[in-house]
Parts: sequence; C-alpha cells; structure tokens
Amino acid sequence: MSLAIPATRTGSWTTEAGFGVYVHIPFCTHRCHYCDFNTYEGQEALHDAYVDALVDGIMGTPGERPATSVFFGGGTPTLLRPEQLGRILRAVEATSGIAPAAEITVEANPETVDERIFEGLLAAGFNRVSLGVQSLVPKVLVGLGRTHSAERALDAIAAARRAGVSDVNADLIYGSPWETDDDWIFSLQGVIDAAPDHVSAYALTVEEGTPLATLVTTGRVPDVDPDLQAARHSIASELLGAAGYERYEVSNWAMPGRASAHNVLYWCAGDYLGFGAGAHGHLDGRRYWTTRLPRDFIEAVRTGSSTTAGEEVLTRDTRAGEALMLGLRLTSGVDLSAYAVRFGSDALERRAAALRDLESAGLIESVAERVHMTPRGTLLGNEVGSSLL
Amino acid sequence: MDLKHQRAIAVIAHIDHGKSTLSDRLLQLTHTVSDRDMRAQYLDRMDLERERGITIKAAAVRMEYKADDGETYEVNLIDTPGHVDFGYEVSRSLAACDGVLLLVDAAQGIEAQTLTNLYLAVDAGLEIIPILNKIDLPAAQPEKYAEEIAGLVACDPADVLRISAKTGEGVEGVLEAIVARVPSPQGDPNAPLRALVFDSVYDTFRGVIAYVRVIDGVLKKRMPIRFMVAEKDVEADEIGVMAPDAQPVDTLDTGEVGYVIAGIKEVSLAKVGDTITSKDRPADDPLPGYREPKPMVFAGIYPIDGDDFPLLRDALEKLKLNDAAFVYEPESSGALGFGFRCGFLGLLHMEIVRERLEREFDLSLIATAPSVGYEVELMDGKKIDVRNPTDLPDPGGITEISEPYVSVMVVTPSEYIGTIMQMCQDRRGELKEMHYLSPERAEIRYHMPLGEIIFDFFDQLKSGTKGYASLDYEPVGLKPSKLVKVDVLLNQQPVDAFSTIVHRDKAYDYGKRMTERLRKLIPRQMFDVPIQAAIGSRVIARETVRAKRKDVIAKCYGGDITRKRKLLEKQKEGKKKMKQIGAVEVPQSAFIEALKIDQEATST
Repeated sequence: MSLAIPATRTGSWTTEAGFGVYVHIPFCTHRCHYCDFNTYEGQEALHDAYVDALVDGIMGTPGERPATSVFFGGGTPTLLRPEQLGRILRAVEATSGIAPAAEITVEANPETVDERIFEGLLAAGFNRVSLGVQSLVPKVLVGLGRTHSAERALDAIAAARRAGVSDVNADLIYGSPWETDDDWIFSLQGVIDAAPDHVSAYALTVEEGTPLATLVTTGRVPDVDPDLQAARHSIASELLGAAGYERYEVSNWAMPGRASAHNVLYWCAGDYLGFGAGAHGHLDGRRYWTTRLPRDFIEAVRTGSSTTAGEEVLTRDTRAGEALMLGLRLTSGVDLSAYAVRFGSDALERRAAALRDLESAGLIESVAERVHMTPRGTLLGNEVGSSLL
Repeated sequence: MDLKHQRAIAVIAHIDHGKSTLSDRLLQLTHTVSDRDMRAQYLDRMDLERERGITIKAAAVRMEYKADDGETYEVNLIDTPGHVDFGYEVSRSLAACDGVLLLVDAAQGIEAQTLTNLYLAVDAGLEIIPILNKIDLPAAQPEKYAEEIAGLVACDPADVLRISAKTGEGVEGVLEAIVARVPSPQGDPNAPLRALVFDSVYDTFRGVIAYVRVIDGVLKKRMPIRFMVAEKDVEADEIGVMAPDAQPVDTLDTGEVGYVIAGIKEVSLAKVGDTITSKDRPADDPLPGYREPKPMVFAGIYPIDGDDFPLLRDALEKLKLNDAAFVYEPESSGALGFGFRCGFLGLLHMEIVRERLEREFDLSLIATAPSVGYEVELMDGKKIDVRNPTDLPDPGGITEISEPYVSVMVVTPSEYIGTIMQMCQDRRGELKEMHYLSPERAEIRYHMPLGEIIFDFFDQLKSGTKGYASLDYEPVGLKPSKLVKVDVLLNQQPVDAFSTIVHRDKAYDYGKRMTERLRKLIPRQMFDVPIQAAIGSRVIARETVRAKRKDVIAKCYGGDITRKRKLLEKQKEGKKKMKQIGAVEVPQSAFIEALKIDQEATST
C-alpha cells in the first residue's frame, strides 16, 4: 500500500515532484496584524470582477503539463463562494489539465466555513482543506488578532470531516508573546483530539512592515523570544509525534502518506504556475511574480496587458543553492546523487567544504547518499541554508 | 631697531577671556592693521586661512608703538598654544618673551590653565602685567579678582590694569605698561648668532617656517645657519617679520622676532626649542631649555575599512611633517587588523590628531582605548618601554612596572573642594598642596598616575563641579605601581584590542565592565561563548553568550523563496565581514562599539 504513495505525499525529496498550480485570492474580512501576505480588507465589491479576471487570465495562459497539485491560497479563498472557486479550478483544468489523483487544496478561515460550504468545495473539485486554526486559547487568538473562537475552529475541522473532506490540515502559530507553554500544549492537544491529517505549526515571525513589527519596535508588544520558540518547537514535536504525526519539514507534521504534495513540490524546487494578484510562479529557473493590487490585476487582464510585475532568471548555481536551502527543510533531506545529476556534480563539489563544516558542527548528518538536518540543525536552518547558497 | 626699543610679550589667558579681542585692539592702536582692513579676531582668522594654505601662521606679530615718551617701540606679540598638552611649547614661547600680559576675565577670575602658564612665566623671570578684561560686563567684579591676582603675582591690587578690549577702554594703558614695565632684551649683538625657535610649522609650498627670536647676534638673509640640536646645516633662504602679513627683511637684529625659511622638509628638523646659530661663526652652546618632545599617551589607530590602511599611512606621514611631537609605528591587531600605535603629548593632542586625520584626510578610524607608556623592569635587570598593553611580558618575568605620574592642578570654587578630593583619591591621587586664591576659590595640586586621568577624569570633574573647576596637568616622572595586565578572552582566545594595564585594585572593575559590555555586543554563536577577563591565567570576571538555539525561517513556500534566499544571502555576506577570533565570529561593529564607549568616557 505504502509503495503506491507518491514520494511527495511521504514528504520525501525527489527530482520528480510533479507540476503545481497556485492561485492567489487576496481578500480577507480582517487582516491579522502579524500577516505580511498580499491580502486586502474591504474589497468585496471586487470579488466578482477578480474571479472573472482570474478565469480570463488562466484561459489566456498556455497550459504546461497537467497539474499534480493545485493550491488555492490567500488571503481567505473561502470568502469566495464554492461555485466561484470551482469556476477558477475549471479554467486550470481546461488549460494545464489536472493529473489523476492530484492534490487540490483550498485554504479556509474557520469563521467562513461550515458543512454546507465544505460540501460545495468538494463538489467544486477540491479534495484537501487547510484551516487557519492558529490557537485554541482565547487570549492568544485575541492577541494574534484572529476573529474566530477556538470552538469555531474545532467545529470547522469536524464539519469538514462530516462533509467528507479526506485531507484536512490545521495551521497553528506558536511562540507569540501572549502564549505560555501550557497554552501551547492546550492548543496542540485540542488539535490532536480533532484529528486532522496534517498540522502546520509556525513560530510567530515579526515580519518587517507589519502592524506587529510596529508594536514591537515601539515597545508595546514584547519581541518574540527565539529560545522560547525553540522550546515550543520541541513540545510540538513531542506531542504530535506521540499522536502519530511525523515531522517531514521544519514546520510541518503529517500522518503517514498525508504530507502536502504541493508544498513538497516547493521544497523540491519544482515548477509551478502562479495565478492571481501577487502570485509567484517558477518554470525551469525562471521565477516571476504578478502585480500585487487586485484592482491592477483585474485591469491588466481586462486590457490584455501582462500581469507579470517582475521576474528573476536564476543562474545554474543559484538554482543549485536554492535547491539545498529548500530541500534540506525536508526532514528526510536531499539525495545527493540525484541532486548531482540534476544540478551537476560541480555544484555539489563547490559545496563539499560547507557540507563538511556543517556536518562537523553537528547541524547536518549524512546517511549513505542522503544528507539531512539534525534536530538541532533544523532549528538553525538559516545557518545551514546560508552557508550552502 | 636697537635693543632698548624692543619688547616681546605673550598673552596668558584662558579661552574666552578676550585674548583675540585684545590683540585686535593692539593691532589697531599701533596701526599695524588699518581700520579699513580690520576684522574681528584678525589673527585667529589668519590661522584659519593658513589651514586652507593661504597665509602663514600668525605665531608672532610685530607692532610699532609711539609711546607717551615720544619714542617709537617695536612690540612683538608672541602667540602661545593654549592647550593642556603643550606646556613645553608654552615654555619656549615664554622663553622668547621679555614679559607677559596676564589677561583675566573680570567676571570669572583666573582659571587653572592660566595659572599654570603664569607659574611658567614667573619661573622664567618674566615681568607680568596683570590685566582684568571685560570690566564693561554687568557681572564684572574687578575689585574681587584684582585682589586674587595681586595675591598671585605679588603686586598691589591697584596695579592691576582694568580694561575692556571690546570697547577699547584702557587698552592704550596696556601698551604704555609694556613700554614702561617690561624690560628690554639683554642679548649681545656682537656675540655669535643664537636664535630661539619658538614655533615651527610646515607649509606645502615653502617647507618648514621656523619662528624665532634672535637672542644674540644677527640673522642675515642667505646666511649659512645651523639648527644646533638637530645638527642640520641649511641656508636662510628667506627671513622676515609678520606685520601682520609676512614681510621679507634682510636682517633680524638682536631682540627681533621673525621667521626663517630654509628649505627644510619636516618640522622634526626645526623643533621648538632648538637654537639657530651661524654655521661660519657658531655659538659654543645652544640656548638652555630644549627638551625632546615626549609622547605620554598611546593608542592604536586603525582604519575601519581595512582597505584604507595605505591612506592612513600616507596621512600619518603628512601629519608628522607638521607635528614633531607626534610619533607612530605600524602594529597589527587580531581584532582590528593593520594600524598604527601612535604616541601623543596628551589627550588633547590625541583628539587633535584624530580629528585632523578624519577631517583633512577623510578617513574613518577606530582608536583603541588610550594607555600611557610604562617602564617595565625584567628579572634580568633590563628595562623596557611598553606602549601597548599586549606587549607586556609574562608577569613571572617582571620585577617592577612603573607608570608616569602627573602633577594635576585644579582651580575650583571652594564649595567643590570635597568633591574634587574624593575624585582624586579614587584615582590614586596624593594631595600635594592646597591654597585659597580668595575666600571663594582654591587651587588644589595632586600627584596622580596619568593613566588614571586619561579615562574620564575631565568629564567627571566638569560634571562634579557644574563646569566651574578647571584643570591642568604636567608630567612629574615615573613611579612604580602595583599594575597588572587584564586580558579579555573570547572562548579562551585573548582579544588584543581589549587588553589593558590597570592598577591591581581596579582590575576587577575593568574586567566586569568589559565582559558585560561584550556580552551585549557579541552575537550568539552556534555554541556557548565564554567571555572572560583574566590576569595571567586567573579569571576575574566571566559572562557567557549563550548558544543560538533557533534561527530558521518558519514559512518557506512558493512566494517566499526569492525573498528568503536574499535574506540568507545577506546573512552569508554579513558573516564574511566578521572577524574570526578563534571559532567565534565577531562583527567589526562590536569592537568599534566596545571601544567607542571608552572613548566617549575619555573625550574632554
């Protein structure tokens, strides 16, 4: 049975990660103060036009290969009706095509969904739901600026199950200044009890330019404490591990065979198209991103001008460096012989000394041809990544 | 002009007591500068222009004054450096004079600096004309301060002149007093030439310009001359006087003051205090009082950007041309790279040099904490000079370390005497003398290690006395002390830039301060980094920079990759710029910050 599971769903690094399509929905009813994503409040009047523009934009883009994964991210994609999301998905199907057994994820905030919506999403073609739970402790949710209750988040997981969603992910945030160790344990335990297939747990990051960053620099909110976050990461590993989840990436845990194929594609430095405002795509060393403002995006599609706002053509060596920076995020690490075939043995030779240093510093380990980060190295991933670029 | 009609005088005054304004009035009254050409602070402005390479220094100005007795006198006004580090230069300027004007602000009274220079003038046996300036100020208390001054120079308070240089009131009386009270020079016109060099400056176009007073004999244009101390033979290409602009002349007679240009390329060959004689008919002995300039304070100076090292070297070479008291030699530091160990007359001199290097040569510099020069006696009886704490030999091989002491003079309102004594005692001072200048003001003299005042003594003194106390110091020789070297170690590796020599009783304070400071400045590494202060192998203070536990991007998905890669590239670049102390990576900025704090405490 497990042999039938593709590598991407075990969370393994592979040179054959498939092909992805990312669709960005840049709307939220309320923007959380830690968020630095491309999303906007109060643009309900643009929703219909944005859907039209997305559909037109996708239809106007020549298809590549059939998508093995599709991911609708945000913002809050579920601010749109399931039929609207379905229309967009049809456009992807009509152009790129969707491979059999493809993973098709939609992100949702608990306050925007119920059983009926989940049924609609399934009917529209989605088979995986990622829910922004973040915490089950009221004071932490308030601190983070979330508008849903803990109960609503747990209800959403249950509703998805009742509707028949087979793949459910719960997003959590830890290490915020409003949270204690006990709070974190409480949230983890509650989520474990709700039994999603997948849990993403992120250390709260104070991103430049966010309202949270301003609160921190002006001293109104204490800064995050990396030591404390390291401890909370260990707590997550312990509790989730005991419940049967395996950590397959720095911040991601899944039941066996339930890793996110779409996200594994990113960590395998694979190819993907990006649609919508402020979406990124990557095709064979060329990375591009689209215009960020929804209004500009709609206008560009309407007038037939390019929605691309910028691009970066990666050198062979930059690609090789990025591939390690990304690939080593995966717990099982990178297969160096496959890596050498893909990026050239010279790329590997150039990094041989750095790899040796990291190994002697105890940040990475190699087993046969595979190199992976140690538990300590995982929490110091920037040291590893930066020295291998 | 004959000797009888010569007078050379200097003005001794505290900064802001009106020296420049008085000079202006004297230039005007003697018609040296016409009313049409007169600008405020005339001589100071000439100095500023000299900095831009236009005019030569107004080190001395010749004025002609027709006195009440109907005779015309030549009055030379000789400039004195007004800085605490230049006592020797002041003494040479005074040696070129027949008398001094003691100029004191009638609202402030005499200050320590003025007092030091006054004592130098008294020692030189010069006639002193005490003057109270600014009597037009509402806050002036001429009666009170006339008493104070009369007590110091042993005269009748009534003999203290009262003037306002600003309004011109009483200034004529100053010129009359110069003529009447200051004796004419006593040189021998027929003796072999002896001219005292009291200042020398380097000019890009002309080479060294030496300012001299002819004590004996005559100095003639084109004359083969000899700098007796430097043993340098040259020809007097040009001689002249400043009135106030340079005017070439054919002869400088006995008693006259002027300049000599002789194609000399650096001031160290025409040092202040040297004697010029005739090569053909040399004097037997040079004039007394010459002293080799002796650096007292040392610091390593490093370019912040290592690539600037050649620029710094060139700048120091140029600076040396114009500053005989400044010494430097290359050194290297594990923490700071390549630089120079520089020696200065004192802290102010150091400040001046640093400022000139940064301003005139556009260099960004970092200086190590200043230290004094130590004399170290070794087990085998040999004595060595240590100018960099890193060079101190192993304590086992040392029998004795001596450090320079200075005589510190503080003039203060009497209410602060207690504060100042406390401050001096904390710095191992030994009270030598205290007396009241007046019921409200006292002069206190301490002997203290120079090393104790180079850190924050000036600042402490100023803040402890609301700025009312003034300070001066002069070296009084070396004394053995219980000194130890404190090293600072990062992960067991000594960091040379932070090594210092301190008194045994102060070692712990220094060690604690530096380790605490560095703990905050050194970024967390992959392992715990102990920061220790140690005397030899004995650790006296310890802090730890805890190992970094978490440094990883939480989210890295399709839209994040370029941005996160750039973040890591920046992290990698930053790492490359770090200095490696053993296995510890330290940003240059940490050294700079740690040393800066000391300098802030040091600056006056």
